[in-house]
Amino acid sequence: MSSVKLRDVRKSFGHVEVIKGVDLDIEDKEFVVFVGPSGCGKTTLLRMIAGLETITAGNLDIGGERMNEVDPSKRGIAMVFQSYALYPHMTVRENMGFALRFARVPKDEIARQVNEAARILALDPLLDRYPKQLSGGQRQRVAIGRAIVRDPEVFLFDEPLSNLDAELRVHMRIELARLHKELKTTIVYVTHDQVEAMTLADKIVVMRDGIIEQAGRPLDLYDDPANQFVAGFIGSPKMNFLAATIVEKAAGNVTLELANHGRARLTLPLTGGTVGEAVTLGVRAEHFGEAGAGGADISLDIDVAEHLGSTSYVYASAGGEALVVEREESRHENGRSHIVVSIDPERAYLFDSQGQRIR
Amino acid sequence: MVAEVETSGSMQDRRRGGAASNLARSEQINGWLFIMPALVLLGIFMVYPILWSLWMSFQVGRGMNFSFGGFANIIRLTQDPVFIRALSNTLLFLAVQVPIMLMLALLFASALNDSKLWGRGFFRTAIFLPCVTSLVAYSVIFKSIFALDGIANQALLALQLIENPINWLSDPFWARVVVISAITWRWTGYNMIFYLAAMQNIDRSIYEAAKIDGVPTWARFWFITVPMLKPVILFTAVTSTIGTLQLFDEVNLLTNGGPSDATLTLSLYIYNLSFRFMPSFGYAATVSYVIVILVGVLSLIQFLIARDRRR
Ligand SMILES: Nc1ncnc2c1ncn2[C@@H]1O[C@H](COP(=O)(O)OP(=O)(O)OP(=O)(O)O)[C@@H](O)[C@H]1O
Ligand SMILES: [Mg+2]
Repeated sequence: MSSVKLRDVRKSFGHVEVIKGVDLDIEDKEFVVFVGPSGCGKTTLLRMIAGLETITAGNLDIGGERMNEVDPSKRGIAMVFQSYALYPHMTVRENMGFALRFARVPKDEIARQVNEAARILALDPLLDRYPKQLSGGQRQRVAIGRAIVRDPEVFLFDEPLSNLDAELRVHMRIELARLHKELKTTIVYVTHDQVEAMTLADKIVVMRDGIIEQAGRPLDLYDDPANQFVAGFIGSPKMNFLAATIVEKAAGNVTLELANHGRARLTLPLTGGTVGEAVTLGVRAEHFGEAGAGGADISLDIDVAEHLGSTSYVYASAGGEALVVEREESRHENGRSHIVVSIDPERAYLFDSQGQRIR
Repeated sequence: MVAEVETSGSMQDRRRGGAASNLARSEQINGWLFIMPALVLLGIFMVYPILWSLWMSFQVGRGMNFSFGGFANIIRLTQDPVFIRALSNTLLFLAVQVPIMLMLALLFASALNDSKLWGRGFFRTAIFLPCVTSLVAYSVIFKSIFALDGIANQALLALQLIENPINWLSDPFWARVVVISAITWRWTGYNMIFYLAAMQNIDRSIYEAAKIDGVPTWARFWFITVPMLKPVILFTAVTSTIGTLQLFDEVNLLTNGGPSDATLTLSLYIYNLSFRFMPSFGYAATVSYVIVILVGVLSLIQFLIARDRRR
């Protein structure tokens, strides 16, 4: 059993509280990814699970046991650092086997485990090299190998791919997904790359300012964000936000007026909100429809169009509001200065002035 | 046509080359002019004395009356019990003091590198301070501490560790202990600063990774800190060896080489030979070349021991 359970966990550095009460359940064998903007406390929370930072208040259980005061080496965890943290004066083989020497593991058993990890990570030809003779991706794999040989219940990763170039990142991302399948252990993974989060995670934990904004399966967060922050954070390109006012309410739906789009009206199938309330309408770039497809049509001035081949992103604006629209056919629209798109009421989200979702 | 183009081309080249070499020459002259004052001073006060002392080491005689003596001085070395005494004292100080001091410096440095240690700024300063205090002031204080009625004896008596006061500076064994403590006290902080500076460059997450992996504290020190500081340890070992081989100030001020030459060092012996006894500059120069050779050999051995075995 290697579930991790956090209950009202808090952390203060001096008088500054950086983790402000976190409740989270990480299931056995789950791949959990912490995402959030820089400084929101992802690393701090991970280090608290690792035992590198003390827990100011609250409860941390790993495998059903309270771990708040337990030494890092006895928590059944292994951690991979952003900087790799390899021992520069030891070969790859020594790096991976070093810690086992102090766990009274016999020599031939150490060798066996190191070779096994090297096989999993395709490190065999590099075993006698020193870290400085390796590329970034190879160093990363050694760091992961060092974690694997300890056979931990829970792996902790702090932005392991952020020092790699884009191509290698994609490669290592796939490697990590494969590794998770092969090792069948719990993984807690920190990143601020939301593509990594979407592709790797069983569960994404979106953090802001020391609290969890929302935790759930990647597509649940994408389809059903709890608030404007999560809606803006998950998905690429970022969700578009349009200023609006509720002008009418009927049973089961509300009608909005879009302030910056010629007071276009749109009726959404929602029950919340009050008439006259200033709200924000959220629409993803990929959810705009063709003009006249229903909902409301809005007309936009094109600023820039990026053609990626299979699809294009059109950066446009209206009434001082910048929007991104994804268009599959836009390569035929070269030279146009404006487009008309429709907003599908079924695929639009509404948020109140506090950023909370109106349902 | 072709030939013409070629000649004019090569002429141009030559002209350009000439200009370039003119420029290079004037740059060179300027460069030499800039370093000339320093070179002249170095020549007068370093190179000339070194060469002159080499020549002197083959001279025999007293005062300014000397004549070429071939290897006479070297033969005299082997038969001079005071020299043998000074040499063995110096090597003893070296063998005992340098390892103790470097170990202490390493331990202090790793303790003071811990960001959780309370008052580390104060301790860093306190440990570094001895090496910037005045030599004479600290010798006087050491002398008073280790006087027969000094606080060292008073404290040991009060703690009932000894029954009678120790005659620190007139007992051969304790006199050496005092000299070794004095130089250790003075230079430990200096070496510690090098270690601290090097430790600040070690990525903290290396230690955190080791901690999570269950590597005990002593092993983190021995298998991570020490190997990663190897170049700095080598540097401090060489400089400390040189310093201790030239040990002069402390013994001169604290014990004057006594009692009965128990703390006489090579440097002090050289001084005595030149300025205290009937001057014997030639022989003194020979003894000083013994130090030079010792420094060279010991430094070479240290480099060989510490050499990176991975190609
Ligand atoms: N040792 C410390 N002392 C004081 N404040 C700290 C300490 N470590 C982190 N903080 C503060 O805690 C907050 C959270 O930091 P943390 O490193 O957890 O952020 P993060 O989410 O990992 O950010 P990033 O994505 O940039 O790595 C920050 O405001 C940071 O300034
Ligand atoms: Mg971080």
